[in-house]
Amino acid sequence: MSSDSMEVVTDFQFLPSFSKPAENCKLSAMDDISLQKIQISGPTLASLIQRVSSSAGDVDGLLFGRVTHITPLTLSDDSSSSAVDTTSDQPTLVATVTSFFSSASTSTFYSPSGELHAPSLNDLLSTSSSDDRLIGWFSGRRKTHLRPSMRESSVTAALASNFQLSSQIQNSPKSHTFPPSIFLLLTTPFRDQLIHTHEYKAFQFRSSTDSFEPKTLDVVNLGPAFRGHYGNFTPNSRFPDLPFEVKGLNSESMVEDEGRDENEKFGSLCDEGFKIGRLKNLMGSEAASYTAELEGLYYNMLKKMNGLAKLVEQSSARVLEQENHNMKLRYKVAGFE
Amino acid sequence: MAVDNIPPIVHTQLNYLINHSPYSIKVEQMWSGSKNPGLLDRFTLAIPFCLDYIKWDVIYNAQFPLLAPDIIFGPEDESFRPYPSGREGELKSKNSLSDWNCKDPTRLLSLIHELRSLYMVYQKKRVAEVDDERLKFEISTMYSREGIEMYMSSGVDKPEEVKLAVPLLEMDLNKLVAGSTWRHQQKIYLQVVYPVSRKYLAVASAPRLKLISSPELKALFSIDEFRLPPWLDGMCMAEYLPTLEEMLESQIRDAVSSIETRRKFITTMAIPFGRPLEADPIFCRKATFLACSGVFTFLVHVSLPLQFPRQQPALMLQSSQHFHTHSGNAPIKSAILQDYPWSPRWDVSRMADRIFDYLVEECLNFKKHCNEVILQQR
Repeated sequence: MSSDSMEVVTDFQFLPSFSKPAENCKLSAMDDISLQKIQISGPTLASLIQRVSSSAGDVDGLLFGRVTHITPLTLSDDSSSSAVDTTSDQPTLVATVTSFFSSASTSTFYSPSGELHAPSLNDLLSTSSSDDRLIGWFSGRRKTHLRPSMRESSVTAALASNFQLSSQIQNSPKSHTFPPSIFLLLTTPFRDQLIHTHEYKAFQFRSSTDSFEPKTLDVVNLGPAFRGHYGNFTPNSRFPDLPFEVKGLNSESMVEDEGRDENEKFGSLCDEGFKIGRLKNLMGSEAASYTAELEGLYYNMLKKMNGLAKLVEQSSARVLEQENHNMKLRYKVAGFE
Repeated sequence: MAVDNIPPIVHTQLNYLINHSPYSIKVEQMWSGSKNPGLLDRFTLAIPFCLDYIKWDVIYNAQFPLLAPDIIFGPEDESFRPYPSGREGELKSKNSLSDWNCKDPTRLLSLIHELRSLYMVYQKKRVAEVDDERLKFEISTMYSREGIEMYMSSGVDKPEEVKLAVPLLEMDLNKLVAGSTWRHQQKIYLQVVYPVSRKYLAVASAPRLKLISSPELKALFSIDEFRLPPWLDGMCMAEYLPTLEEMLESQIRDAVSSIETRRKFITTMAIPFGRPLEADPIFCRKATFLACSGVFTFLVHVSLPLQFPRQQPALMLQSSQHFHTHSGNAPIKSAILQDYPWSPRWDVSRMADRIFDYLVEECLNFKKHCNEVILQQR
């Protein structure tokens, strides 16, 4: 596993706004390359399914990730097979979905007939703090057929032909770009079932043939069986940079927060780093005092976690309250009383 | 389906669609896509197309009923893109969805209507792409005809076929019959099914032909009894259709004039029987008279076949005094009587008199039958 893959993302870049003219302004045939497969990590897929199954109605959203060029493994003990193995002109591409964004309703970035609404899409892209690129979108709708609908086809086609949204393919020898042409469809069976509760299918939209190509969705999990497989996979941690990101740490609403000193101590520990060298002190005669120091640190950390958890719980309750209120208002507008 | 469970906005649009559509659209099923089932916000529409039905799922969102619906087309129509997205900066053509207004009840109908015509264009394009010389020729000869619908059927386990629905006869059938209450336009179609052959054959196999009419037309004219002219080897549609239309037109004119014959018969029946209690005034296919024999009072139902007077009317007697005590007090009826003296060469007053004479005898049998039924019930 590469060392940088586990690094906490501290600085985040905004995606370049696609209103700027991109350098490569022509969608060449080379940019419409068939993916070998689409990868998604277990937790990302799980949270996506959770998002769809917990929503009151239909949802959709954007998929982020990256597209990587991989060198196909052509090594073989059998010398005769290497003659058969022809290296095609088409590079082998694997798309990896690392995160997604979904708002409370559908149709946030496109019109009823499926045209993209550039300003809203731009807004959505600029507020997402991920440094991954837009690679496609998803739609979740209950009790429907597992095939793209009229509007989904139009939206996907519009995204796939929008070269300004294309991202660079990583590890690629030539500078190929990849348009956000992935579409992930999540549905539920028509009859409620106890075990089989959801279905999903991944597609890549090919602009050249104007059609959806079903793709295997490879779920990457941890564990011995996946070790070889995991080596090729670069996970992406969205662990936030604590001192700047979590405002709650400095806010007064944290009842159990013991004050500034504690914060500064925590902050300084974060800034300077608890040097590995100091851990050596845990051995030998002076170990007792260092143990106490470490325990103090852990104790404070736990307290903060507790406070944070409470804060999250309270704000979740407020969000739910607001959502219910919004729903009532919507029903009123729609003529229910 | 419970009306309460459909979002009102969706309900008014769906109602308008069903009541105002020029062709009869059916709602096959309605269901809910919400987490907590209750609000029905999706339904399957069966839309007549090319003498068959296409089934489209209309997906609303009960949580956001103000949003425009989405459509899922059939599994064979994945390449049907009614509203292709233009490249950025291109002028987008307006369509039924582009300025959706949920408060306007006509919107769903105009959307489905627009999609159906786009679907017709799409199917025509698919048929035009079929590489079959005979088919190309046949279609080129029929270009001048309006309203031909085409359907390209293909699938994994289905033979490749092209179906055509050719509307026949330019005359307006609704106007032929005075006072007709037909809500939909009546039309007769010839269904032509061409198996697709990719290799050249000296003699192309005959297409499968079938005459199909709108269902309500059977009160006037029975398609099943029309014999299609034979299809000769090497024939083409351009030769076949005029003969067929000529035959059909003369038979329909006969069918219209036979209404008058039936009307005259019913009026003549009034001389021995008295004025009918009830009669079909438009197609004159049914009449009911009240009759009595002594104190035994009964109804005579007369139904006139389309082949009248070649075929005699079917009679049925219904007692006004005897009832089945077990099955909800239904009046006792006779079997259908179709085996009495008859000649199509008689004039109508003779026909009416002969039926009267026959019933004078037959009603006694019927009375006996009624009494037997009553006895058995005790």
